[in-house]
Amino acid sequence: MANEDVKSTNPETKMIGKKPLRPITQLLISIAIIALVVIATVFLFRYPQRLGPIFVTALMVTLGTFLLVLLLRHFMLVWFSYLHARELAHQEIPENYPFVSIIVPAYNEGEVIQSSLSSLLELRYPYYEIIAVDDGSTDGTYEKMKEFEGNHYGVRVSVYRKENSGKADALNYGIRRSKAQLVVCMDSDSRLTPEALRYAVYHFEDPSVGAVAGNVKVINRHNIWTKLQALEYIEGLNIVRNAQAYWRTVNVVPGPMGVFRRTAIEGTGGYDSDTFAEDFDMTVKILADGWKITYEPKAVAYTEAPEGLLDIIKQRYRWTRGVLQALRKQKGLLRRSNGNITTPLSLWYMIFEGLVWPAMNIFANLFFVWIALMVGMTKLLVMWWLLLTILDLLIAVHAILMEGEDMTLAIYSVFYRFFYVLIIDVCKVFATLEELFGLDMSWGKLARKGRI
Amino acid sequence: MRFDWVNILATVIFVSIVVTLILAVASYFAYKVREARAPRTASELRQGGEGKVFFEEYRPSDTAKTANTKQG
Repeated sequence: MANEDVKSTNPETKMIGKKPLRPITQLLISIAIIALVVIATVFLFRYPQRLGPIFVTALMVTLGTFLLVLLLRHFMLVWFSYLHARELAHQEIPENYPFVSIIVPAYNEGEVIQSSLSSLLELRYPYYEIIAVDDGSTDGTYEKMKEFEGNHYGVRVSVYRKENSGKADALNYGIRRSKAQLVVCMDSDSRLTPEALRYAVYHFEDPSVGAVAGNVKVINRHNIWTKLQALEYIEGLNIVRNAQAYWRTVNVVPGPMGVFRRTAIEGTGGYDSDTFAEDFDMTVKILADGWKITYEPKAVAYTEAPEGLLDIIKQRYRWTRGVLQALRKQKGLLRRSNGNITTPLSLWYMIFEGLVWPAMNIFANLFFVWIALMVGMTKLLVMWWLLLTILDLLIAVHAILMEGEDMTLAIYSVFYRFFYVLIIDVCKVFATLEELFGLDMSWGKLARKGRI
Repeated sequence: MRFDWVNILATVIFVSIVVTLILAVASYFAYKVREARAPRTASELRQGGEGKVFFEEYRPSDTAKTANTKQG
């Protein structure tokens, strides 16, 4: 039976990442890294004259490269996202709709699960079912799901309960119980807009499309952290997906909303539990099988963003290590193209964005501070800050206009690069180092406030 | 008195970058400390082989067996 092709994975029988180091080794590595950074900083500030002209020239060349790459990156993102938007504007939504199964895995989501299921019953789509899977919750999530079980004006809601074994396993459990050729995988803290499914599904008219990424937006925008994240989702994440969609190689189908062709998921063997970014892992596996992946800006899913700095760090730490774990699994794909050169390019871009860019960003900031202090080039520092801030502001306005979003978010682009992105980049660098050294980690569930 | 806006702005930029970097590193370590202190989930405890913390796991079949033995 085709359904059984999706394998069941239990994270309890697998180790995440490499074998964890002993706590004392972890502590020593952390101390060594901090000591190195402190020594390098003290040296740079106390003895700049000992660096010599070659070193300073090398730094200047690196910085020039940084600015060039930044400008090129922004230009390409804007250009390809514009081309994709233009392409979508000429397409018409067909009237024939396939049957779709929506899988909602949940673990201790009592605060938000009913709101999420209610939003699914309001979808303007004729043929679909909802499969809610409780992953062994202890906060009454299952009981709240049960209230929705049954038939709601033609939409069947099935509720299942299983022992806790992780989101990937819960998704596989739901997929095995679905009957549709198209499967929507979502987070239980997401809220789909009524038209989301209609817009996402028509991309599957192209038989080579294996998945469609939805447009994720932040629903809780009431403090500086959530507003900065709202801007980041529009400016930093969606614009990248929009640009990648022009080449049909979107490299992350996001957890809050992804529509998959059932055969594409079955071909990969289902979701794996051996990474902390099961959505990225599944996307890479589908790309590796030669499927195309696109993005639909009108398939909007709202998600609840972490509201405090430590929760944001917790989320980004998990994303960074999860992406590295998935890339390590599929490292062969970085060298072979499967007849489509854009797939390895898309993954190399992911490595660049995830690893190289954060380190470059931190380095560039430190270097400019150093220049300003040592050489007294305050004008250069101000010019550099103005250039990048204006660039961010322009990109933000472009992205906000494209998505018809709240223009007041553009104000936050002033703090975006030199405050928010810098904090996230430091977290990414630490997470990368920890992943390279094989330090252990846990999933780390975020506390929900029930804003959706 | 005439202000040198370039110097003032440069100082603001410099201070904010340094403060942000310190905040970033401090919050990362605060996150690590918070995670280390957080109670682990049942699944994580089982992964580490520490599933049975206080009590033996309850199994309905065991109870039935014990009851049968007592009756016998």
